[in-house]
Amino acid sequence: MPYLFVAPNMFIFITFIIWPAIRGFQISFFDSIDGRTFTPVGAGNYRTIFGDPTVASVAKNTATYVIFYVLISTILATALALVVNEQKFAKGFFRAIIFLPVMLSPVVVGLIWNDVLDRKVGPLNSLLEALGGGSPGWLVEPKLGMIAVIFVGVWVHIGFYSIILLAGLQGIDRSLLEAASMDGATRSQIIRTIILPLLKPTTLVIIILSTIHGFQSFDFIYTLTGGGPLGATTLIVQYIYDRAFQSPIQYGLGSAAGVILFMIIFAFTALNFLVGKKREAI
Amino acid sequence: MSKLQERATANKWSSMSGKKPPSMGDIFRTTFLIVVSLIILAPVLWFVLSSFKDVTDLSSRPPKILPTHWAFENYTEAFKMYNYKRYFTNSVIVTSIATVLTLTINSMAAYAFAKYNFRGRDGLFVLTLAMIMIPLQVILIPIYLVVANLGLVNTYWGMIIPAAATPTGVFILRQYMLTIPDELIEAARIDGAGEFRIFARIVLPLCRPALAVVGIFSILWRWNDFLWPLLIAQKEELYTLPVALALLNGQLVVPYNIVLAMSVMSIIPVLFMFVFMQRQIVQGIAQTGIK
Repeated sequence: MPYLFVAPNMFIFITFIIWPAIRGFQISFFDSIDGRTFTPVGAGNYRTIFGDPTVASVAKNTATYVIFYVLISTILATALALVVNEQKFAKGFFRAIIFLPVMLSPVVVGLIWNDVLDRKVGPLNSLLEALGGGSPGWLVEPKLGMIAVIFVGVWVHIGFYSIILLAGLQGIDRSLLEAASMDGATRSQIIRTIILPLLKPTTLVIIILSTIHGFQSFDFIYTLTGGGPLGATTLIVQYIYDRAFQSPIQYGLGSAAGVILFMIIFAFTALNFLVGKKREAI
Repeated sequence: MSKLQERATANKWSSMSGKKPPSMGDIFRTTFLIVVSLIILAPVLWFVLSSFKDVTDLSSRPPKILPTHWAFENYTEAFKMYNYKRYFTNSVIVTSIATVLTLTINSMAAYAFAKYNFRGRDGLFVLTLAMIMIPLQVILIPIYLVVANLGLVNTYWGMIIPAAATPTGVFILRQYMLTIPDELIEAARIDGAGEFRIFARIVLPLCRPALAVVGIFSILWRWNDFLWPLLIAQKEELYTLPVALALLNGQLVVPYNIVLAMSVMSIIPVLFMFVFMQRQIVQGIAQTGIK
């Protein structure tokens, strides 16, 4: 009987996750342009990934995006959680606003910022012009495109990380803070020497989660920049998608990139699990 | 600073719990939060206002904040043209059937893991959780080939089934079911109730809060999901809203004002859910760390 209960779930896992994962690993050693005929190439796809300049630029974009995304998200989410936690006036309202972008469809988020950042008719540039600045081509110049994508990535997810950090903050024993304040510690001393160290396990979880999310980013970028300008915001997931649907179609190369992405995500998920274990032990 | 002054500052700190007139800190915090809120709300508001502008207003430079004439026709046009109803219906079909399916099979698996002893239980449970490590992005190409081989490309089932089994859903429901006393199930067995009847009539109703969390997350995720339906729905009749919006935006065939109106309409259901179920959503995230 219990087997009957787990069967539907397991059937889907095996058919649509485990089997494709095995296939993906196999295909990564082949060349295929139609998904039907496969030519063995040994480790050729992996050599391409580590040698080809196009892939190198995708790797560089992904690394740039993930590093800044994780750094800014973690710092800003911690600051927001600290502030919201102590806020007395309209706390629930502010929390709801910060959380709002998490609920929006990433496709629409991309469209929203595409509209706002438009070089000619966007409100941001008209504001900048009114203030005497130029009108930067946010979505036209490669460097600015990356900055825009990082900013919007943080904008979308910051509420999600803040909520988790807020829960972590609420788990901190109040009496510790009150004792410190009785002993004459200032607010910043309390934050630096008591709150932040106690929050460390949660912060670590945020760093790991945001790293995983960063590597998986795709949808809002698709409508914000479409990977451009000049491929400057093409990250690994879009690269994999393109290898199946945009020319040059290379199923094997895309699968190999998938295997590498898997290894990165596997490492961080395992790390998250270990951190979680340690957290429970404390 | 004298000891006394230090005490005074220290007392301000305890504003964390006390009720005192607004301090410098309060003012700083509120200002900070207002600035952040503006950065979050202003673009969304701008976008909504844009959806009421006509083509002339949309291309005016410098841009106008308010429409010179409120172009409600953007919305009525969207309904008339471009298969908007089709996309909306597709999104509703995929979201609702997928959520019902997810709740059904996830709760079944969760029940087995929580309330039965059977060979391989722990192994299968770990395997279920391990699925978190293989997100769609990683197996994009092989899963597409598998689904294509099964003839599921360009079908509703292709969009619904492959992502219906979720490790987090099983996990949340199992944790909740562990709190249901075994005696309750034993008593029902003694009364002669069948195993499936016990599950459906006794266990499921007791799990309503956990089912609500899993259901809400499934609805949000499916409604906003892009990558998977983008892979499967290659014919326009099957586009869900996000796929339609992303692909229509790229073409110049569809006027931008119509795309804007369609985008705004597509986020309204989610905003409703947010307003009414914020508590469950926020608690769900805080507890599981998963969106």
